[in-house]
Amino acid sequence: MSSTNLSPADFQPLPPSEAVQQISRPSLSYWADAWRRLSENPRAMASLGLITFLLAFVSIGPALWQVDPSAQDLDQIGIGPGADRTVTIAAPFVPWSPQQQSVTPADNNLGLRLAMQANTQAVRLAWTATGSTRHRLYRNVFDPETTGSLGLPLVDRDQPWFEDRLDLQPGTYYYTLVPLSADGVENDGAVTLPVDVIRVISIAQAVDRGLIDANDTVQLGQRLKLAWHPLGTDYLGRDMLARLMYGGQVSLFIGIFAPLAFVLLGVIYGSVSGFLGGATDQTMMRFADFVVALPFLLFMILFKVIFGIGPGESGIWPMLVAMIILLWPAPARLVRGQILQIREEGYVSASRLLGGTTAYVVGRHMLPNTMGVILVTITFQVPSAIFTEAFLSFIGMGVAPPTPSWGAMCNEGIKSMLTRPHELMFPAMLISITVLAFNLLGDGLRDALDARMRGAE
Amino acid sequence: MSPNRQLAQFFLLAFAGVALLMLALHYAGSALSGTSSDVSAVDEDANSISIIIREEPPQLNSSRATDAISGMVLGHVMEGLVRMGLDDRLEGAVAERWEVTPTQATFWLRENAKWSDGQPVTAADFIFAWQTALKPETGSQYAFLLFAIQNAEAINQGTLPASALGVSAPDPYTLVIDLARPVPFFDKTLVFPTFLPIREDFYNATNGRFGADADQLLYNGPFQISRWVHGSSMTFKRNPYFWNQDEIHLDAIHVPYITSDATASLNFFKDNKIAITGLQAENLSEAMRMGWQIRQHRDGTVFFLEFNHRQGRVTDNVNLRRALQLALDMDEMVYKVTKLPGYEPGVSLFPGWLMGEEKLLRQEYPPQKITPDASLAKQHLQKALQELGLKEPPDLVLLSGDNPISSVQSEWVQQTLKTKLGISVKIDKQIFKQRLAKMTSGDFDLVLAGWGPDYNDPLTFGDLFASWNKNNRGQYNSPELDAFIDIAQSRLEPAVRMKAFGDIQQHLIDQAVVLPMYERGVTYVVDPSIKQLKRRVIGPDPDVSRAYIDTSGE
Repeated sequence: MSSTNLSPADFQPLPPSEAVQQISRPSLSYWADAWRRLSENPRAMASLGLITFLLAFVSIGPALWQVDPSAQDLDQIGIGPGADRTVTIAAPFVPWSPQQQSVTPADNNLGLRLAMQANTQAVRLAWTATGSTRHRLYRNVFDPETTGSLGLPLVDRDQPWFEDRLDLQPGTYYYTLVPLSADGVENDGAVTLPVDVIRVISIAQAVDRGLIDANDTVQLGQRLKLAWHPLGTDYLGRDMLARLMYGGQVSLFIGIFAPLAFVLLGVIYGSVSGFLGGATDQTMMRFADFVVALPFLLFMILFKVIFGIGPGESGIWPMLVAMIILLWPAPARLVRGQILQIREEGYVSASRLLGGTTAYVVGRHMLPNTMGVILVTITFQVPSAIFTEAFLSFIGMGVAPPTPSWGAMCNEGIKSMLTRPHELMFPAMLISITVLAFNLLGDGLRDALDARMRGAE
Repeated sequence: MSPNRQLAQFFLLAFAGVALLMLALHYAGSALSGTSSDVSAVDEDANSISIIIREEPPQLNSSRATDAISGMVLGHVMEGLVRMGLDDRLEGAVAERWEVTPTQATFWLRENAKWSDGQPVTAADFIFAWQTALKPETGSQYAFLLFAIQNAEAINQGTLPASALGVSAPDPYTLVIDLARPVPFFDKTLVFPTFLPIREDFYNATNGRFGADADQLLYNGPFQISRWVHGSSMTFKRNPYFWNQDEIHLDAIHVPYITSDATASLNFFKDNKIAITGLQAENLSEAMRMGWQIRQHRDGTVFFLEFNHRQGRVTDNVNLRRALQLALDMDEMVYKVTKLPGYEPGVSLFPGWLMGEEKLLRQEYPPQKITPDASLAKQHLQKALQELGLKEPPDLVLLSGDNPISSVQSEWVQQTLKTKLGISVKIDKQIFKQRLAKMTSGDFDLVLAGWGPDYNDPLTFGDLFASWNKNNRGQYNSPELDAFIDIAQSRLEPAVRMKAFGDIQQHLIDQAVVLPMYERGVTYVVDPSIKQLKRRVIGPDPDVSRAYIDTSGE
């Protein structure tokens, strides 16, 4: 132990210097601190980026991808992303009714043959009437040899020819002709004919669809590309990308504004009720209970009537109003519970003792402490609002066709989930991503805004 | 123990617990309801099959039944005077033979036809049933089918008592019907459920609950309802008192599920729970991949776009209707949008299967084919706008059903009219009852509607737009058309009648009274071991009453 030599000089006050005044770290306001902690949370930041992207997708997207979301491209119904778009120019379709067989019969025992080159306008088949005069024609997309089924019965036919126009897609079809006995029983001797179908378009149609200019000279057999649909089309040939953009406007509008509005309403109501306490609190909460008991769907219909919205018109505004008016009690209750608890905390008493006004106490101490609960509520209400919109659109109370919304698109896509999965997958993915992003962001925000974690690293 | 192991153990326990609980609940559930979830599609030992129906039969009181599902159920448990045979010809059922003259129809009943309590079916049961259907308080929507009988119309309007009906029974097994006017196809109309017999003492004993439950019905058909869990399942078992036991092969028919969900139905078929299911366009390639034997059947129903012809509606204007007629390409709708095999693009109100004088009606009187022409359509629209004094194309309200096929079609109509004519269409999707109510009150401009035949004569379609027909929902009123319909209704000579139907067809096309969209087809798959399952246009569909199981072909 060393001896200490203290001189009187040591007991002189320090002269004022710069170093004392210097603050080692910048002063942080509440929001700056929250932002600092949020930006250190990679998940939350990724979600924030995603939400910004989604908002840009639905707001700026339609300006960049100028395709009418309700235009029906009947040449390309239900195609997936990246489908082949090649189309050949052909003569316009005219109904076919051969008076006599000019084509030489094929050498199978029914003489089944293709009368003309098969294309997506029509597949024209002819056969030789031998023995039985009545035949049944089947069509299959798989080889009947491997599946054991002849496929789709197209027609029972008395004449020895048939023109098939049903939903022809480019690819190979297997046509099977079965002779029928007089009482309609299938006889032996079926003949299968594989047919390759190419996609064609007439010049008039090509001009109509804007593929070529009316003045362009095009020859039959020339190849063109059909309109491009990056994410494919739906069951009526409508562009998925455009529909997702426009559909997102509706879904995100309801999904963000409705929860924001009714949670705000609930926060004000709940904090007033919790803060005042006593008989006022009791009355206010019983009123909230009353509102909870009101049936949402019934009010939704009532608002539709009050708003004067007829059939086939969009019910988005009444939906928003109904949600705001009927869904606030849940957040109100949560906030009230929090406020009741915080009211009894020591720091609130201290603040009041030091002369804090009611507004100051509520704004400075109570609300920041309930922020976590509020944000969690909002993030949970966003997906539920999106789903409510989807459900209401499904029963015809929401968007009116042809206006899309993600929920309505899902409901349409689920019908063809097995054959054309992209119609369900894209809107469902967007809903999932939105919901996940809001959840993660809410999680991050709660940590960042929680006053009790303030200043923590 | 490490916390991780503890956690894993906890999850395992929780998982096992939930699994056990679900298993227990499943058994408890099936023990309590005793449902037929254990019934397979085809049960050779029990000699039974399982089918599915779209919805609960709304009305099994035959005097009030109107819909296809009730008709299908009644067709299995009841038998009228005549029925449609497996060869689609009329054959005697309770009636052994019959005779129709312009003034009278006489039916001789077989004496061995019995009710399910063993008592014989007599002529009095038919008379009671028909009188009941005609009484105004019964409110039968199909009472008009009986109007061919003397005094029937007056009874239905309440001006005569029910006993005044021109039907008599000289003895218990002879039924004599006095006809109000000559009806050349009177015997064909008798297959409709309204003509089924009802026994008076049983009807009165049910205290107004006739047909409401399995034990509130008396059966005289090949089967009887042995269990009916409303909205959930039904079981039919063979009726031991049925006279024609030789034709009946099955001992029971189960209806384990009542649902209109096409996907659910397809999955039940895949799981071998039901023996027949319909296919949607989306399921076709799946069905082909599974190697199922797909079948097709045209059910005789015609679907059309009906206009509201009431005064003051824009659709009252013939040029507007003509514009729509020229703009909508039904070929495109059927081949590219609906995409179901068996659907035939509509060209006429009269479907292709109706018989004319000797050949098919449509061969004798081929309908004029309308070639879609967008520019001609626009000219007609311009003319219509001038006549109506409008500057802009009007907005139209399209009333549509709430099923997937109607939705797709109405969206196609909406977009086609928008792009080709600039007409905005609002789609008003409604459930069946509500749609019917709106059609009756005239709250629409366009409506997607359909009409299935009630009996095998072109008149079942031909009188649809008569000014006096209650099913003329758009209230089309044209003396010219009424005159043609009057000829078709009252004249006996087939040649004159068919000419009248040809004229009706031409009038409907010329005036664009209605736009035929398509004739419906049904694509379905059946378990290959079931034989003699009958699909038909008129009468119960599907009909499995004569079906049998034959696994030898597999």
